[in-house]
Amino acid sequence: MDSPNHFRYRATRIILVILFIYGVLVATHEGEFWPFSIYPMFSQAGNPWTRAMVTDVTDEQPDGIWEITKLEDARGVQVPVGKYGVDQIDFSNFVSKTDHWTPARKKALITMFGAENIEGRIWMVMKVTGRMTDSEEVEVVAIPFLKLRADTVLTNPFLPQEEYLRGGRHE
Amino acid sequence: MNRKVASVADNLFENGRELSRGELLFYKLFELFIMGYVIKMSWDWGVYTLRNQEVVLPLGLANYIDVSFMFGNSLPLILAGIITLLTVIAFFRIGTNWIYLVVLILFHFQHVTRFSQGEIPHSANLIGMTLFCFAIGIFFFRGADKRWRFIFGSMIFFIGLGYTSAAISKLIGTGITWADGRHLWLWMAEKGVDILSREGEFSPNWLQSLAYTHVTAATLILLIGWVTEWIGILMWWKKFRPYVITAILGMHFGITLTMNIRFDAFVMQLILVGYPWYLLLDRWRIGYSDSIYRRLKAIA
Repeated sequence: MDSPNHFRYRATRIILVILFIYGVLVATHEGEFWPFSIYPMFSQAGNPWTRAMVTDVTDEQPDGIWEITKLEDARGVQVPVGKYGVDQIDFSNFVSKTDHWTPARKKALITMFGAENIEGRIWMVMKVTGRMTDSEEVEVVAIPFLKLRADTVLTNPFLPQEEYLRGGRHE
Repeated sequence: MNRKVASVADNLFENGRELSRGELLFYKLFELFIMGYVIKMSWDWGVYTLRNQEVVLPLGLANYIDVSFMFGNSLPLILAGIITLLTVIAFFRIGTNWIYLVVLILFHFQHVTRFSQGEIPHSANLIGMTLFCFAIGIFFFRGADKRWRFIFGSMIFFIGLGYTSAAISKLIGTGITWADGRHLWLWMAEKGVDILSREGEFSPNWLQSLAYTHVTAATLILLIGWVTEWIGILMWWKKFRPYVITAILGMHFGITLTMNIRFDAFVMQLILVGYPWYLLLDRWRIGYSDSIYRRLKAIA
């Protein structure tokens, strides 16, 4: 039977050992080894960011759909990705962190939404970027990135192709 | 043992205080809450993994094991089933004392398989860390009092450390100017795009409008949040705990209002661990009958 002092000593020692393992794991895995974390979210303030959204451009004039605009002027009707069971943060990361848009990556995008949901429509996956301007205002821009049909994915012909090979950041 | 360390340990583990009947009931109900979330999350993640196609960002064990073998088949659901079964077995303390350790590893694996798409979420960290404390406590200690004291104390230790660690990360990542209200504008715009993408529409609420209109208000919001994170480790001391956790709950409410990020599991767990609910159970003598007490003891 543990005495109170022995229990305290043992419990403290175990916590310190865990803390050591915790430290080693997060130090060697860029701050994250779930559920261990240094909780770095929002630690770097003022950085430009990139997110993603989808609009339905079926009824838009084809010559204007690839134009980069301010967010409020983005072409098409907003597609709520949550309606299709897609986690919007996953989707944003998938679009912004993919370095190389292989055919498999493009197909994964259709699978994410379900080809049956896109059938007969034209969807535009847009990268949305935000940054602080020199005049200290927030500027948010929508960049048409990938045009989705149920069976094909087309890249923006007006963007440099390196955007699809090395994951352009627009930052 | 160093006197200061001993003092912190006594505050965390409430060393020597006998486990009351109300506390024993609370302990088991709290375990039910945590394990309920473990089961729910393992199924949520398993179902979501069915649509994953490729690993975008490997986390944790996924750095060493190619988790893509879990994609395109029903393995994530089978894994969720195994986690469920083992969690129930461990909850009733059937068999050995290392089942929660197995659950922890499988749960970690389910997490890194689901979150291999680029997102690094922290919404389940508190549940994961608490499962970790249960796994370690039940493995190393015998008897309801020792186990619960260790599990609760270590959980509070890591929760407090986590918040203060987040505050330190901000100081290292940005510096003292982190609380500049213009930074909040940029984050609110980012989260606004997330909502627009998810729901198809977004309009700022009153607090967001206030922060956009007055940079001083935005700075004040960030400053209050940052100070709250800094004082996180003060929850290690029992006398400060309810106040610190109330401040943290307020901070989470503020983050929800400004950045549209909800923390359901976090908030519920903080409400459960922040205040001595067992005193109410003791006062009202809930769960005091001998038969309930005997049964709870048997699965403690």
